[in-house]
Amino acid sequence: MIRVTDVTHDYGAERALDGVSFDVRAGEIAGFLGPNGAGKSTLFKLLSTYLPVQSGSIELAGFDVVKAPLEVRARIGYLPEHNPLFDGMRVDRFLAFVGAAHGLDGAELAARAEWVVERCDLRSVLTKHVRECSKGFRQRIGLAAALIHDPPVLLLDEPTHGLDPLQVASFRAFVRELAPGRAILFSSHVLAEVAAISDRILLLVRGRLVLDLPLAELEARARARRATLEDLVLEAVRDSAASDSLVREGGVP
Amino acid sequence: MDRAAADPQLPASVRGRKPRFVAGIRAVVQRELGGWFDAPVAWIALALALFATSSWFLNEFFLANRLDLAPFFDRLPWVYVLLVPALAMRVWSEDLRARTFELWMTLPLTPLQVVLGKYVGALVVLAAFLAGTLPIVAFLCTLGSPDLGRIAAGYAGAFLLGAQLLALGQLLSALFADALVAFLASAVLSAVLLAAGEERVVAVLDGLAPALGGGRALADVLSPLPRYGAFVGGSVGLAAVLWFAATAAAFLWANVRVAERARS
Repeated sequence: MIRVTDVTHDYGAERALDGVSFDVRAGEIAGFLGPNGAGKSTLFKLLSTYLPVQSGSIELAGFDVVKAPLEVRARIGYLPEHNPLFDGMRVDRFLAFVGAAHGLDGAELAARAEWVVERCDLRSVLTKHVRECSKGFRQRIGLAAALIHDPPVLLLDEPTHGLDPLQVASFRAFVRELAPGRAILFSSHVLAEVAAISDRILLLVRGRLVLDLPLAELEARARARRATLEDLVLEAVRDSAASDSLVREGGVP
Repeated sequence: MDRAAADPQLPASVRGRKPRFVAGIRAVVQRELGGWFDAPVAWIALALALFATSSWFLNEFFLANRLDLAPFFDRLPWVYVLLVPALAMRVWSEDLRARTFELWMTLPLTPLQVVLGKYVGALVVLAAFLAGTLPIVAFLCTLGSPDLGRIAAGYAGAFLLGAQLLALGQLLSALFADALVAFLASAVLSAVLLAAGEERVVAVLDGLAPALGGGRALADVLSPLPRYGAFVGGSVGLAAVLWFAATAAAFLWANVRVAERARS
């Protein structure tokens, strides 16, 4: 459902992504872990077609982001890190606009809007302007907009940012429910966050993918070494300069 | 996140659907109009412009004692120099500042649909301004029988001139994330284009190099003022309509290119 092949991206002389490759299948939740500045948001901007691909290839839901960007956009739900919303719009009108921009109207739009409003618990702010909403509500509005067109691919960049602990727990359960039939890629710089939701962990450090393993396998390795997940991840970060062997084949010693 | 409702998943035929070309533009227009009339700047600009044009007109009307709208149409281009940039400055600048530009560019809409939708939304506001001046026409009709055909031609010219300057302002709004800079650039450029068509400016430029005839050439090629003047005089020419449409289209095309490049 998501296929990233040898993607490299530069901002001028600075390399943001360096030969990144991975796949995410339908029904899989992949968590992107990495410190700030690791290149996670750049990768999400490439996946969402916002940034043009400089090198390598990206395919989502069977469509190439360069050759068929509109087909890709029609099939992704994207929640960017800074969650851009039209502050001057009412929440209900904003959701209706996003639905209409995805070609929904009439009963289909009404049913989807009703569902996202209920699931994202937006009823109490529906007639408020976005600018009047708290950070937590804004995050939920962004998530509702990402879901309104029932996308087969979900791209969530730091989705729990701004949510309180109860909302975070609720969000994790919600993402789990959304997974069947969908490929979900989300990012965080918090290991516990990624480990709590993901089937698979991908670790990005300074633009390089230094770890790509199923969570269960990573946990088994940690148990075998009597270490914690955090220990293994920190070790991978430290060894990232010579980490080629860690990628794919799980070279965590 | 509430756990009650089951996901009303869309049929496979609907998943991944994109809006048709016109439906996509309509969605953008509706969003933009919602934004326009939610922001006090649009109301303030419209109210000030209506007050200024009505005051000027009534002043000149009572001095000249003529039953026509010429004083209104003569002043209008210079009202546009401030009004149109005020309307256009936030069209893109606001998106660039608030980073909603990323939202626009990741929806399944082409940049052309977004640019046209934003433009049509701004045109509706411009049309609302012109409609707000219609009580002046009603006032004239209560006093006698003004030449309504000529007045209609004047309004057509006023709309075309506004539409052209709006396209220019929208382009500049895409170039400058700072709305104030976009406003100033748009106001200065609009003033230069209009001034190039003023007879006094043409005479001065022609006087500087009589052999070149640069002033007249500049007015004929670049300035919307002579063509607008023909409309106000009651002459609706197809060539002038096409000129306004073509120049507005050129600005909008450039706007599409700027929006595409702004992604990288």
